[in-house]
Amino acid sequence: MRIAWLAALVLGSWLTPFTLTAGTEDPEINVNSRYTVETVIVRGDGWSTNLASDHDEKISSGLREEISALIGKKLNVSRLDDLGSRLRKEFQARAVTHRVQRGDAPESVRVVFQIVQRPARFDVSVPKFLYASKQGWSGEAEGTATIGHNGFTFGLASDGDELVERYTGLLARYENTRLGTDRVHLRFEFESYHDNWNGASRVALAEGVPGTEETSGIYRNRMNLEPMVVFVVARPLTLSVGASFQRMQEEEPGMPIDAANAFVTKLQYQWHTEDAQNRQDVAAGYSLHAGTRALGSDFVYGRQHFEARYRLTRGKQVFTDEVQGGWLTGRAPLFERYVAGNSTLLRGWNRYEIDPFGGNRIIHNSVDYRYGIFQVFYDTGAVWDRGQPAIARHSVGVGLRQSAFFLAIAFPVREGRADPMFLVGMNY
Amino acid sequence: MNSDFAHRQISRRSWLLAGLTVPLLSARSTGNLSFAFDGDDLHVAAPQLHFLSGRPLARLQDGATVVFISQLTIFRDDRGTVWRRNPERLTVSYDVWEEKFSVILGSTNRRVSRLSASAAETWCLSNLAISALGMEPDQPFWFRLDLRTADPKDLSAVVGDPGISISALIELFSRKPGADQDQWTGYAGPLRLSKLPRISARRTRNG
Repeated sequence: MRIAWLAALVLGSWLTPFTLTAGTEDPEINVNSRYTVETVIVRGDGWSTNLASDHDEKISSGLREEISALIGKKLNVSRLDDLGSRLRKEFQARAVTHRVQRGDAPESVRVVFQIVQRPARFDVSVPKFLYASKQGWSGEAEGTATIGHNGFTFGLASDGDELVERYTGLLARYENTRLGTDRVHLRFEFESYHDNWNGASRVALAEGVPGTEETSGIYRNRMNLEPMVVFVVARPLTLSVGASFQRMQEEEPGMPIDAANAFVTKLQYQWHTEDAQNRQDVAAGYSLHAGTRALGSDFVYGRQHFEARYRLTRGKQVFTDEVQGGWLTGRAPLFERYVAGNSTLLRGWNRYEIDPFGGNRIIHNSVDYRYGIFQVFYDTGAVWDRGQPAIARHSVGVGLRQSAFFLAIAFPVREGRADPMFLVGMNY
Repeated sequence: MNSDFAHRQISRRSWLLAGLTVPLLSARSTGNLSFAFDGDDLHVAAPQLHFLSGRPLARLQDGATVVFISQLTIFRDDRGTVWRRNPERLTVSYDVWEEKFSVILGSTNRRVSRLSASAAETWCLSNLAISALGMEPDQPFWFRLDLRTADPKDLSAVVGDPGISISALIELFSRKPGADQDQWTGYAGPLRLSKLPRISARRTRNG
């Protein structure tokens, strides 16, 4: 706990200056916001494209559409900053600057984005980390080399938050973000993990409590190979199709290696709209994992999961409602089971108290209100097994959130003593 | 050892003065400051200070908005005891068609447009004032003017969807502190209100 408070202090002291100096720019404060954008030019290392007239494929079609949408409208300098960030991300550039120049027509301006590339395109990143007082540390570190549209990633992970078990090991990934067209991406991922189990999970599985017949036994190692193709159907809608080949080495010596091979499909939709005062974001997703003998799987199951999120941003206030649910049919391995009582679902609860080896049904709703960096949230939901009653649980919490970083304390709502969970992390 | 050198002590006041001067080393001088008192507020002028030049001017001419942070400080003595301090925020942009400057004074949202560079600089300084209420007319005081461009750290380059980029973090922290910032500082004293030229009261925000 002492380490957690130390981490909180470090994170808090790091967040504060950014919070004080950052902020969205009022479009009225730049005198050029009264002019109309005539054209937008994007310049890179030895190339240049005029979005009003050229139709090359230097920039992905979605981003190109968004940048082109500036043309004919009044200049919005904060929007230029957003699009500059998007260009920097797409080109993995060191920096993207923008200039506003006089246009050819009176009262019009030309916007020029200049992309400055990194000398070497290799990056080491920490995609996520978390400390939760009831489950310890989780985190990932990755190194990615990018050559053209190809990314090669090697990483290490230890996660005690997402699944029933804590998994620790390595991952390797190849990703092509342009398979003939920027609307098709290809990804191969390999993971190899060692698994550690909580005592409550071991006891429940050993005693054969109801629900154990619908899942696997405890395994000590797990390997996964996952080829996936992502189709950008329309810019807000993507469809991922692939397969997951998982191998699990059971704990008991001499036991055979189990295979859990499944077709994987995921449909995602994202949309946003904004006016002078409000911004609304909608995101929705549906995924299906189908374990089948056709792929040589020892487990035949179906895992369906949906989630939807609505976010309303008005000045410093952000309201978010996120709902998700899912169900498993057949006999699915433990890593496919639903868990709540972690850093995102029923925050504050001890997951092993809710269900020591997860459930095959879940329903959850989270309401979150933020004012600046201050955040309050209310989670409600249930995890249960088919044929058993669903027990609704609730939790509340307060915290600080800035960008991807958060610091929170969450309380399970129940009778008796308050047993809060302390959370600090990023991207969870 | 030379006994004369060994017994030469650096006084506490010298250390304090040296400490006050350290932050000024990376800043440019504002040139001579002149003052006026309207009965409530102390006004400052710095005719040799041209902050709409160099890098800030280049950014403005590229259509960006440049924020300047100013701070007026009155010291009770030459040892750096602060009596009153007044920070202010000046948001400047440059009209690419009219080639004129526009300024918004942060605290009051007062706005002025279509100014030349020197007129904009003068407007900014003439609207900076610090309350001298409570100060005896013959009490000596010292004054400091600080002006710098705001440099919000570009966190988006470090933290994005793929998490914290260690390379970007190294790049951010290996930058020389203040390398992207322009700053100017002027210091004057001792001054006395009774010796300052009197002007009629202007509409400004008091510190």
